[in-house]
Amino acid sequence: MLSIRNLHAGYGKVKVLHGISIDVPRGSVVTLIGSNGAGKTTTMRAVSGMIRPSEGEITMGEGASARRIDALDAHRIARLGLAHSPEGRRVFASMTVNDNLLLGAFPRLTWGRPRGDVNGDLERAITLFPRLKERRNQLAGTLSGGEQQMLAMARAIMLNPDIVLLDEPSMGLAPILVEEVFRIIADLKAQGVTMLLVEQFAAAALNVADYGYVLENGHIATHGPAAKLRNDPTVKAAYLGGAH
Amino acid sequence: MTILLQLIYSGIALGMIYAVIAFGYQLTFATSGTLNFGQGESLMLGALVGLTLVTLGMNYWLMIPVVCLFGLAQGAFVETIGVRPAIRIKSEFGWIMSTIALGIIFKNVAENLWGRDDLRFPSPLPEAPIRLLGANVLPMELLVIGGALLMMLAVELFNRKSIFGKAVVATSNDRDAAALMGINTKLVITFSYALSSLTAAFAGVLVAPLTLTGATMGAVLGLKAFAVAIIGGLSSGMGIVVGGLILGIAETTTGFYISTGYKDVPGLVLLLIVLALKPAGLFGKTAIKKV
Amino acid sequence: MNPMKKIAALAGLVALAAFPVLSGNPYYIHLVETIMIYAILLFGLDIVVGYTGQVSLGHAGLFGVGAYTAGVLFMKLGMPIWVTAPAAILLTAGFGAILALPALRVSGPYLAMVTLAFGTILQILINEMDFLTSGPLGIKIPKPALGGKPMNETEYYWLVAAVLVLALVVVHRILRSHLGRAFEALRDSPIASDCMGVSVYRYKVHAFVISAGFAGLAGCLYAYSEQYISPNTYNFELTILFLLAIIMGGRKTRSGAILGSAVIVLLPKLLDDIDMFRMVATALAVAMVAGAAVALARRMTTPRQIAIPVAGTVGLAGFSWAIATLADWRLTIFGLMILLVVYYLQDGIVGFARKLFVQGRTRAAAAIERPVDIAPDAILAVRAQGEGELLDVRGILMQFSGLKALNNVDLTIRRGTIHGLIGPNGSGKSTMMNVLTGIYVPTAGTVSYRGQSLVGRTPSQIALSGVARTFQNVQLFGEMTVLENVLVGLHHTFRASLADVGLSTPRYRREEAAARERAFAMLHFVGLEAVANEEARNLPYGKQRMLEIARALALDPELLLLDEPAAGLTAPDIRELTAIVRKVRDHGITVVLIEHHMDVVMSICDTVSVLDFGQKIAEGRPAEIQADEKVIEAYLGGEAAAAA
Repeated sequence: MLSIRNLHAGYGKVKVLHGISIDVPRGSVVTLIGSNGAGKTTTMRAVSGMIRPSEGEITMGEGASARRIDALDAHRIARLGLAHSPEGRRVFASMTVNDNLLLGAFPRLTWGRPRGDVNGDLERAITLFPRLKERRNQLAGTLSGGEQQMLAMARAIMLNPDIVLLDEPSMGLAPILVEEVFRIIADLKAQGVTMLLVEQFAAAALNVADYGYVLENGHIATHGPAAKLRNDPTVKAAYLGGAH
Repeated sequence: MTILLQLIYSGIALGMIYAVIAFGYQLTFATSGTLNFGQGESLMLGALVGLTLVTLGMNYWLMIPVVCLFGLAQGAFVETIGVRPAIRIKSEFGWIMSTIALGIIFKNVAENLWGRDDLRFPSPLPEAPIRLLGANVLPMELLVIGGALLMMLAVELFNRKSIFGKAVVATSNDRDAAALMGINTKLVITFSYALSSLTAAFAGVLVAPLTLTGATMGAVLGLKAFAVAIIGGLSSGMGIVVGGLILGIAETTTGFYISTGYKDVPGLVLLLIVLALKPAGLFGKTAIKKV
Repeated sequence: MNPMKKIAALAGLVALAAFPVLSGNPYYIHLVETIMIYAILLFGLDIVVGYTGQVSLGHAGLFGVGAYTAGVLFMKLGMPIWVTAPAAILLTAGFGAILALPALRVSGPYLAMVTLAFGTILQILINEMDFLTSGPLGIKIPKPALGGKPMNETEYYWLVAAVLVLALVVVHRILRSHLGRAFEALRDSPIASDCMGVSVYRYKVHAFVISAGFAGLAGCLYAYSEQYISPNTYNFELTILFLLAIIMGGRKTRSGAILGSAVIVLLPKLLDDIDMFRMVATALAVAMVAGAAVALARRMTTPRQIAIPVAGTVGLAGFSWAIATLADWRLTIFGLMILLVVYYLQDGIVGFARKLFVQGRTRAAAAIERPVDIAPDAILAVRAQGEGELLDVRGILMQFSGLKALNNVDLTIRRGTIHGLIGPNGSGKSTMMNVLTGIYVPTAGTVSYRGQSLVGRTPSQIALSGVARTFQNVQLFGEMTVLENVLVGLHHTFRASLADVGLSTPRYRREEAAARERAFAMLHFVGLEAVANEEARNLPYGKQRMLEIARALALDPELLLLDEPAAGLTAPDIRELTAIVRKVRDHGITVVLIEHHMDVVMSICDTVSVLDFGQKIAEGRPAEIQADEKVIEAYLGGEAAAAA
């Protein structure tokens, strides 16, 4: 569904990614883990178009419908069916929960994506996240961190996307909320949603993912099926130093 | 006492004009962090184009939507030529100077097309004053107040009810996140400039029958409307209505009780005071910068 | 100044002095006189616009205040120029202060509007207060008296020329001093400037007041030059012309100001003569088309980029043939020129010429002769005095409407240690850093540094009391050289006043020399002395980080806060970094280090505190922390999350 080849990206003079390659097959959950500063969020931004890569190719879709997206603007990429729940949530603070969700479906309501049943999907999304249902007319800026994370994820699903990018969904959340978030990710996976998940909580991410890539200083240090990585000592070392 | 009340009525009408122009500043500032220093000239052009259409025989009420369309086009023009290049090179100085430059050019062109003299704009409503609560108020003044409120309400409704309006609000909340929603934020910015000039042009044809219409009518109006936007806070709609009323009434009363030469002073002094004490405006929120 | 420049300057002076004698035509003499007077104002305006990067739309009003001070003092009290000139400078500077103090709390468009409002008020006041200013009637002033009778055109010209040279020297000295560096610093990075002890607000006000003084002086000279002043001269159009002059001539250069002045004085004259204008416009269009063809052929540009300038100049030429008289279209021409300069000539004519002819920008700062012996300890050796606790933080709560970024955090930093602060993303480390340096005011809690509370003090005050920092995203003063960046850090060592700088007194010169020596030694400390004259933004990333540390050390701090200094560094750079941090600690300076690179933290920190969700969850020696279960869970996610 998503194919990244030799991606180089950075911010101005600072180069963060030095040629990484990642594959996300349809229907699978792939996770990108690594310590801070390794380049995880930069990768997400390069894919969704928030920043332009300096080198490399990013392709979305499979077979005949595959197209390169590395040179496109973010809004064009979204219209092609890529939803990104960004680091830090970035909900629209002065708008209600309902409006935030509605905006997630913007390409469906205007042009670019098949319309489908937007209102139906909205009800389904809000049922998936019960906390949001209670607060549907509340301003998003007054929600707690955990609720905002739910909102950002629900908003991303509203696109009816072909692939969802989840950037650090657990950041800043209390453990009990982290549990809930990962339960929802597992649910989505069961529904067949393709996901690229960036996480700091390696253990939880590797539990829910099919495949994992470990990013270190802008390089892929190791990758493999999630089950194998779970027991790999280099993963722990990448975070806490020591053994290397 | 009746004189004071009359001054208040005129002040309210004047204040609503300021508020509508200030509203235009808010629109573009919210979505793009920029504003049109030539906003007063947008008002002036609207008034003069309206005058020409009316002189050619068009009905005043029919002329209004035509002038609004003109305003849309003029705003889009300003954004494309003056603002977009500056946003691209991230130069604040750039859009400040280029919107000023465009304002100067528009004014000069207007002087050459319509002459340097001030012209009379025929009033669509009877000129006989109405008695309200014991003092006189002109029907045109009532139209100004009503029209201004209607315009601002219409835009608010658009922002709240239509998906495109929501897209605009989303862009002003968080431009990057809006792009991730599939919203073409560049188009949103162009649109907000177009809308901003539309409101200014509309204000122009409203205020024109009440005062003299000419190439110079816009400059000071634009500056004082900015005072209103600052006093009210660049992010609060309520604030600019209140700010406009304060300024309008302050001006009419100063003009009468002190001297007409000084009537521009209270607004400008108010601007300096508000900036000194509460830079975010009376109703605005101070933003916390993240490092 | 190098010999070439000295000769050129001398030649210029001679030409300037000889001009009236050679020309003999009072019209031309007056023209050049006006150019000189405007140039004086522009020197000052350049400080505000070119150096501090603020837009001021009120300088025509200040110009008017200067002119009217002279006029009113003459008319009412018969004062001679030796009184009116200083009075004009001081009074206009005073008005500048009245404007600057409230206005400079804001910036960008707010400032532009406020200065515009102020300029408009001044014009209204001059017009209305006719009991003082004669309002619209204006004031007539004869030339100043010399030896009993009024000066003639040539004599006054020489007076103006002398003042111009004086103004040039003074401005030059100011901008080359620590004041000039402060002005540039606050434009390049206001946050870093504040945290280096250079209060952004204070220096913006300084810059504005100085420029007001120059405007006042120019206004006074203008009054005597024109011999008649009236309120409608000092209007919006004039203020725009001044800005056009600065940006067209070139910011941050004296020659740019003079060139710009010449353009705005001569341009209206040119525009009055339609035939001349047609010729110039056509010549320009032809040159543009030819240049574009060459550039396209050499693949130096694309058709898209070149389309607008070509269309613009050709259109202008066509326009000049289509209209009968240009006087009515003057303002349109100005407007178009502004657009042209803002987008295509951002460095002005002088800047453009420099780029064309001078390859590689080496700053015209005085050539640094390496001090013969570099004192090994340029870094202030701080002896451990008093209590063992340098920084005592208790119960810090930092709330951002609903989100508790820091939730009741205690932190104690012991003198002479390297204290690490770690935690997952979003745990509050950078927030803590910002609270300690005054960028955020904590919602609750106390911060006690050497026994004194830091809460509520400005970043610049905190910096000056000995707390220095570096930034997660490097905040260097990019357009200044490496040495100049460190010199900004040394700003606190200067006691010289504006007068000392203007007159270049021995006290100032001593301070400047001492500062340069120390700055150089500090660069030696971090290993950057070889690139002292490079522009900071051209340094490789690793060296930029080192420079930030050197600059922070220039504050003579007792506490150094490093915010993720190893981020983005390669392994050899990281080794260098750890060595330098150790050296800093060995000098007795206490270090607080926020880092994600665990290797760095474990190898150099004496103590490590761990934050998670804005709370401290562990504290101890590095080895203890590495093995602490709570810490491991915070980073990798615990059993609870894994079981989901």
